Amino acid sequence: MTNHIESFEVVAGLLGGLLGTGALTWAALRRFRLRAATARPSAAADVATPHQGDETVAEEATNADVGSLVEGMLAQGRYALLLRRQLVSNLTPEQSQAAREALEQGMSLVPEGNVTLGSADDDDDPDHSVVWHVGGLFLDRYPVTNRQYRQFLTGGGYEQMAIWDPQIWPAMLEFVDSTGCPGPRYWHNGRYATGEDEHPVVGLSWYEAAAYARWVGKRLPSEAEWVKAAAWPVPISDSQQSQRKFPWGDTMDRQRCNLWGSGTGRTVPVTEFSSGVSVGGAYQLIGNVWEWTTGNFGAGDCAGRDLTLPVPMKSIHGGAFDTYFEHQATCQFQSGESPLSRKHNIGFRCALGLCDIAAPRRSSRDDGQATSEARSAPVDAANFGEPSTGECCAGELAAVSQGDHA
Amino acid sequence: MIKEGALPLDSWRLAQYAAQSPCYICSTDNISDAELCHRCFAPMALAHQARTQKTPPRMFATVGASGVGKTVYLGMLMDMLSRQPNHLQALARGAFSINLQQATASALARGEFPSKTPSEPDRWNWVHCQVRNVGQKAPIELIMPDMAGEALFEEVDHPHSHEVIHPLLSKCAGVMILIDTVKLQAGSLDQDYFTMKLLSYLAELSTEAKRGWTDRPIALVLTKADECEDCFIDPTGFAQSRAPGLWQQCHEQFRNVRFFAAGVAGGCAYRIRRGGRVRVPLRVEPRGIIEPFEWLLKQVKN
Repeated sequence: MTNHIESFEVVAGLLGGLLGTGALTWAALRRFRLRAATARPSAAADVATPHQGDETVAEEATNADVGSLVEGMLAQGRYALLLRRQLVSNLTPEQSQAAREALEQGMSLVPEGNVTLGSADDDDDPDHSVVWHVGGLFLDRYPVTNRQYRQFLTGGGYEQMAIWDPQIWPAMLEFVDSTGCPGPRYWHNGRYATGEDEHPVVGLSWYEAAAYARWVGKRLPSEAEWVKAAAWPVPISDSQQSQRKFPWGDTMDRQRCNLWGSGTGRTVPVTEFSSGVSVGGAYQLIGNVWEWTTGNFGAGDCAGRDLTLPVPMKSIHGGAFDTYFEHQATCQFQSGESPLSRKHNIGFRCALGLCDIAAPRRSSRDDGQATSEARSAPVDAANFGEPSTGECCAGELAAVSQGDHA
Repeated sequence: MIKEGALPLDSWRLAQYAAQSPCYICSTDNISDAELCHRCFAPMALAHQARTQKTPPRMFATVGASGVGKTVYLGMLMDMLSRQPNHLQALARGAFSINLQQATASALARGEFPSKTPSEPDRWNWVHCQVRNVGQKAPIELIMPDMAGEALFEEVDHPHSHEVIHPLLSKCAGVMILIDTVKLQAGSLDQDYFTMKLLSYLAELSTEAKRGWTDRPIALVLTKADECEDCFIDPTGFAQSRAPGLWQQCHEQFRNVRFFAAGVAGGCAYRIRRGGRVRVPLRVEPRGIIEPFEWLLKQVKN
């Protein structure tokens, strides 16, 4: 039992370090532990719980074991936190494997390489395209759903100040739903509309998206990363590369994405429009909802270069269910929105750098023990694709390799 | 010395000029090959097309202050209805009816708003279309002009200064009055006052119960609502709090009024052009465009 408590403290302490401040995160973890044991559907009860019986919570948390904490985090989709180099050595091989499988299921792999941003196909102004180098990364296969975001909400995400940008703390009281509870704008009493579990979460600001990403151990993608995942550039010479206009090719097909005129007129579950999947296996990069990225709209030599913005804006990509013109739903097109806006058609998906997580254990099943060097080594496309990590990833890497060097 | 010669007499041409063709809007007689009515400058094609219909086309007016977004709204509405896959559909009658949607959609696709409508009526765009609601048998013939805000302003302040506006609004089956949400939200009362003037003008067009505007449908559309999300959630509440005079007048003078919110651009910025700052759309995401029109159609059918 003592070992379990020590392990739990190590994991919790490392989580605290990763999330910014130890004290706030430790308290949140204690609350999370209690919730995992006594999960209730009532949103009102969830909101009240963090302030009740802290002593009891602390006692229960002290007695908790790492196994249930890890299970809880996996159930919440926070596998990326578990795969951090600082944490992964505290996991059993089974837990590590489970986290890695969750990563492979939930995220697509985007290889390192160059991507062209800006007016690449603008005949009038070809000089304003910019080539960026993007490191290898994982990108969520699907936009974050209502169900996933509610886990963040009920997990106390709006109370963990460490995962929020300090400059936004004064505005956090305004991040409420239609009934005044913390949460996305169009929810009621901390809940989304019935039947919309798998719809992308909308009505949240850039800061809420960024906080969620931190909570799950990820981050928002940069513009270049987003475009790289969607346009899937392939080098055709030392200085040139071929990029797709849409994830499926160069011609718009409204049957492959949810735009205006596709027939629905509203958001659809994130698993639909499978024929519009990107080469890397990411769904709905075009259509359904715009997606927040970390880029500042109007910065650099890309779109918006000659615009005066009423407020500083963050870059959004991909178009939404109500995007009218095809050319505004290409991989290249970017628009802007105030980071405080909470609109009906803007959602997000998360990214994770390959270098941010530990490499898979080498032959851990055979050895029974993994060396500390192997555990803490950064991931790259090559060592992530070791046979011991599973065929899924190896297959994916093969496709990546072909695409990148064709 | 007198020279004699033969001069052919185009009697058919004389006969054609003798047969006058009344304007569909102001009923003034015009020569048959006139392109525009010489009095009100409405296209004579409307009259020619109307003569071929069993039931005369109805008219909807889109009115509002200058810069409120009448051209964008009407152009976008027509473009959406002509591209709508499964719902209301519009079929343009005559090439001139496509000019407005072409100009609007082309400008928006370029990342600009369409040019301001000139105040001269002979330069206005008119739309004559057949609107069909899928599932309903009989289509409706509709005429909708894109009027200039300045002309409306002059007419409201000085009635009969524009020959076309008075007869047009008298004959309209319904009207969409556009109000700038951004200005209302900024606390400007100009929109409130101008719309109140317009409503007073409508109320005075005819005092007869059957022909007056008391029972005719009036859709009050809060435009540019994309910059004010609350307006979409509760347009009536927004109007009540931001334009109390207008809201009160509507409820006291008119029986068939409804508030709507609409937006075309998902976001806006400014571009420096010709020494001035021009507002441009960052992306086009029409929202709430069809609803007011559909409501008017239902009211007219009822």
